[in-house]
Amino acid sequence: MVSTEQATDLLSREALLLDQKMWEDWLHLYAEDAVYWAPAMVGDEDWTDDPDNDVSLIYMDRAGLEARIFRIEGGDSYATDPLPHTSHMVTNVLVHGEIDGLANVTAAWSVRSYQRVRGAITRGGLYEYGVRETADGLRIARKKIFIHDDRIVGPIDIYNI
Amino acid sequence: MVSVFDNPARSAASLIDDRPEEEIFRVNRAAFTDQAIFAREMSEIFEKGWLYLGHESQVPAHGDFIATRIGTHPVFVMRGGDGNVRCFYDACTHRGSKLTGRTSGNATTLTCRYHGWCFNADGVCTLVRGGKEAYRGGDLDRMSTDLREIAGLGSYKGFLFGCLDADVPPLDDFLGGAKPFIDLMADQAPDGLEVLRGESRYMMEANWKLQTENSTDGYHVATVHRNFATTVAYRETLSPDGDGGMAKTEASRILSLEKIGSGGYDVGNGHMINWADRGNPEAGPLWPQRDELLQRFSEGKVKWMLERGRTVTLFPNLLFNDVASTCIRVWRPIDVNLTEIETWCIAPRGEAPEARRARIRKYEDFFFPASLAVPDDVRAMEGVQTGSDALDDGWNDLALGRKTLVYGADEAARELEVTPLNSNPGREVETPFFAFWREWAARLG
Ligand code: FES
Ligand SMILES: [Fe+2]
Repeated sequence: MVSTEQATDLLSREALLLDQKMWEDWLHLYAEDAVYWAPAMVGDEDWTDDPDNDVSLIYMDRAGLEARIFRIEGGDSYATDPLPHTSHMVTNVLVHGEIDGLANVTAAWSVRSYQRVRGAITRGGLYEYGVRETADGLRIARKKIFIHDDRIVGPIDIYNI
Repeated sequence: MVSVFDNPARSAASLIDDRPEEEIFRVNRAAFTDQAIFAREMSEIFEKGWLYLGHESQVPAHGDFIATRIGTHPVFVMRGGDGNVRCFYDACTHRGSKLTGRTSGNATTLTCRYHGWCFNADGVCTLVRGGKEAYRGGDLDRMSTDLREIAGLGSYKGFLFGCLDADVPPLDDFLGGAKPFIDLMADQAPDGLEVLRGESRYMMEANWKLQTENSTDGYHVATVHRNFATTVAYRETLSPDGDGGMAKTEASRILSLEKIGSGGYDVGNGHMINWADRGNPEAGPLWPQRDELLQRFSEGKVKWMLERGRTVTLFPNLLFNDVASTCIRVWRPIDVNLTEIETWCIAPRGEAPEARRARIRKYEDFFFPASLAVPDDVRAMEGVQTGSDALDDGWNDLALGRKTLVYGADEAARELEVTPLNSNPGREVETPFFAFWREWAARLG
């Protein structure tokens, strides 16, 4: 059973690696079969819940995550150059037992991101993780990101949610 | 040098340098930055023409509504108890409180949150709180308590358009030469199309007309979206046959322009078309329907549906995009340098699950602020907005494509049996923009 302390450590580490732009180390936290999912809003209170039939903001497997890193590092994306400085604030980390063999972890997040052209942008929401214990330590098999801001200012990408 | 601080009020006509006999077409960048021009656009374009509201599939049942805006006016579209769709000004007839508190929902009775008057889904005032006897006889009649419908509401194959002025040509005439291109999307399924669940709304700190140009601008694709193509190609090396090949995108068409057919049309009334052959049409979500489509439509039309990616940009602020996936995009001006953009994924009803899934994944890849493409477009348009302030007499000379411009139809247009005002082979042309800017100047007067 994953402890709250272990889960807090994992989520804090992920946040730090993103804020330090250590993409490969960040990716290493994800399992080979990882699903990274930010559902879209439906009306004012709901989010989409069926990625095969509804639109999500992001729905990616590990190859998708790798591709994002490829895009960021390539320097060819106008929106991504220069990258903003980000600080992820992740808090209220709780473990709620297991779902489908994965530790179910929830947390609240907000990210302040600053880039000279845009200035500071702050967004926030909730995280829901499915975490797997492996011989190599904890791996993220599933991450669901609820983004509360529905009139989105600036790009959304792995580094600022 | 003329200072930006002592500019006299400019007319729209003075911002367009259109000399057909000399084959010159230029747009002054003040069109994107001038506050007085923006105010005229609100009154002359957004209060006097057809504007996109939504798709009928978004209001299927009695009481379903979507709240939106036409220009600066909040309005909502609602399905009445009699099955008809109407569009009302979103304001209580008592003292003007906005009636819808949400962007969409269902309410067979709308209750005003301020003093509690009620309206049914047909717009009839059903309750005046305190009772009609609280008023003197005749006063309520004078107020006309029923909700006010906007002047015109029209539907073309499920796409709903509204207009605030009764004195405009019928919707059918306005859509005109764009209709055969809208049909290429609307006719894809015998049961029509549906807008999928899942919203995307984002802000762009740039003038709305930059999105109109960008939507039909084939010239930026190979620069701004080069990284989309390389990123997706890289991803495909990591998981080579996701979804049996249907998930494969059309990145090839972004980079290898010389190998594919492409072109642009001015189809009149300010509407613009840009198209390019698909690199791998058999990976399209509609490809499995090919035989069925050939039974219903001509070979030329089916070729256009399946083998050519199209952007259909309707005057002034709507895009139907049918490339790797299918997207409706509408951009609503908020201020001269601020625009709210909304996108929806639209799909044929009843398509196979694997086609639907592939369509959605490809939509997410490209059409969102969280995608691998739209953030770069937004940044590019914001860059133009900032740069347009640099010179107070800067002109955009839309000369690209002059060399190859053809009046009337080209071969591809003949395959669809349409006759654009002008055609241009090649996607990297600016001549379709003439359509938009000429309509823009004519409307502003
Ligand atoms: S403003 Fe609606 S009831 Fe008074
Ligand atoms: Fe683009």
